[in-house]
Amino acid sequence: MRYGMVIDLKRCVGCYGCQIACKAENGTPPGVLWARVLKLEYGEYPARRVSLPVLCMHCEDPPCEKACPTGATVKRPDGIVYVDTAKCIGCRYCMMACPYQSRYFNDKVREYFPGKGLTPYEKLKYKDHPVGVVTKCHFCRHRVDQGLDPACVANCMAKARYFGDLNDPDSEVSRLIRIRRGYQLHPDLGTDPSVYYLPP
Amino acid sequence: MLDRPFDTIAQDLRSTFRPQREWVQRKGLLLLGAFFFSGIGAGGWLFSLYLDWNQGLLWSLGVVVVASGVAHLAFLGRPERFWRALSRPQTSWISRGIWGIGFFGLSAVLYLLMGADPWAEASILGRLWLVLSVAGAVWLLVYKGFVFAYCKGIPFWNTAVVPALFFATGLRGGASLVLLLAVAGPSGLELHPLEVAKLWLALSFGALLVFYLWATRESGVAARRSVQDLVRGRVSVAFYAGVIAVGLVLPLAWSAVGLYRAQPDSVWIVVALSSLVGDLYVTYAVAKAGICRPLAGDFRVPARTPAR
Repeated sequence: MRYGMVIDLKRCVGCYGCQIACKAENGTPPGVLWARVLKLEYGEYPARRVSLPVLCMHCEDPPCEKACPTGATVKRPDGIVYVDTAKCIGCRYCMMACPYQSRYFNDKVREYFPGKGLTPYEKLKYKDHPVGVVTKCHFCRHRVDQGLDPACVANCMAKARYFGDLNDPDSEVSRLIRIRRGYQLHPDLGTDPSVYYLPP
Repeated sequence: MLDRPFDTIAQDLRSTFRPQREWVQRKGLLLLGAFFFSGIGAGGWLFSLYLDWNQGLLWSLGVVVVASGVAHLAFLGRPERFWRALSRPQTSWISRGIWGIGFFGLSAVLYLLMGADPWAEASILGRLWLVLSVAGAVWLLVYKGFVFAYCKGIPFWNTAVVPALFFATGLRGGASLVLLLAVAGPSGLELHPLEVAKLWLALSFGALLVFYLWATRESGVAARRSVQDLVRGRVSVAFYAGVIAVGLVLPLAWSAVGLYRAQPDSVWIVVALSSLVGDLYVTYAVAKAGICRPLAGDFRVPARTPAR
C-alpha cells in the first residue's frame, strides 16, 4: 500500500477550493497553507494559463525525514509522511531540506481576527498546531484512516483530484498515471513524490 | 521583513522564486550566530593549540560551548526538547552538529583538565584528549557547511563547495579570534605566524568565494538567481559591505601592510574585528541568498513521461 494523489491539471479550474477545504478541515493558522494553488503561464503567445495545486508530495524517499534530527518526521508504512509535533524541536531543517516548500513553522499563536482573541473554532483546532514546531500536510490521515478521501480531494468541485493506492496497478490513480502519462514535480531529485500531475 | 501572515501568503503563492526566510528572519538569525560561534571557536581552538596558548584554548572552548550552545538553544522553537536532537546522527546533519559540540566540549575540557602539553612530556591520556578535541574542532568547522549542502530545496546551498567555504571561514575566524584576544590582553605571543596565516586564509577564502559564485551560477535558475541577488540584488549590500569591504579588503590590506611595517596593536584589533564581522556576514549572506527551487519555474509538459 502506498497512498498517492493524482491532480488533473486539465480539470483544475484554480478555484482555491482545495486550499480552503484544507484550512477548514485542519484549522491551520493564518499564513499556513498546507495546500496551495499556484498560477502560471507557459508557452509562447498566446500563453497558456495553468493552475498548479501543490501540497506535500509525501515522497517515497523524503529528504525532510532524513534531515529531521529528532525523528519527528515520520513516514508511515502506507507512505503518508507526517510530523509528530510532540517530538519536533522547531529547528526548521526539514523546511530547508524539502524541495517542495510544503512545510510551515508556527512561530507564535496567530489569530484570524487580530486583537479579538481566538475563536472557539481556533481554540479547538490549534491543539493540533502547537507553537514552536513545524507542521505540514498529512493527507488528512485522520480521514484516510476512516476510509475517507483527504479534504482537498473530497471538496474539489471540478473532480480534479484522485486519491488511492499507487502500488495497486488497478487503482484509479495508477490507471490515470498510466493512461494520461502522469508526471511528478522535480523527478530529477530522486525523492519519488507520491503526488502526480496529469498534463493540461 | 515579512512579519504579517498575509505578506507571507503572497510570497507562498508565487510560482517563481521564493527566498528562504526561516533561517534569516527573527529567531532564525540565532542559528546563523550559532554557526558563526561554533566555527570561530573551533578555529580558535586549533590556532591556540598551535601557539600553545592556554588562555586562547579557554576562550575558544567558551565560544563554542557557551555562545554557540546558547544560540543553538535560543533558536529552537522548543528548546526544552533539545536533547531529542541527539537521536538521529545517522541521517541528520543538525544532529551530527549537536553531537560534535558535545564531543568537542567534553574532549576539550578533559584535555584542559589534564593540563597536558601537546609537544613535550605529555601523558598518553592527555594526547588522546588532544587528538579528540582536534577531531571535534575540525568536525565543527565542516558540519555547518554540510547542513547547508544537504538542502535539496535550495540549489545555491546544495553544492560541495559550501562545506569548504565554511571551513575556510571558520579557520579564518578562529585566527581572528586568537589575534584579537592576544592583542587585547597580555599574552606575550609571537603574532607574526598568526598574521601570516590569517593573510593566507583570507586569500584562500576570497578565491573560494569567487569559485563558489562562479560554480553555482551553472546549478540551475534558482542558484543563478541567488548569485544575482548576492552581486546586484537584495543581498548585495550585505555582500559588498559586510563580506567584501569589511571582511576581505580591509583585513587583507592591513595584513599585507603589517607584513612589511610594524603596526600598532589598535590596528590589529581593527583587523581582527573586521575579519570576524566579515565571517558573520558570509554566513548571513549565503543564508539570505538561498532561494527555494521554483516549484513551477521550469514547469512544462514533459515530452516523454516515465510511466508507472
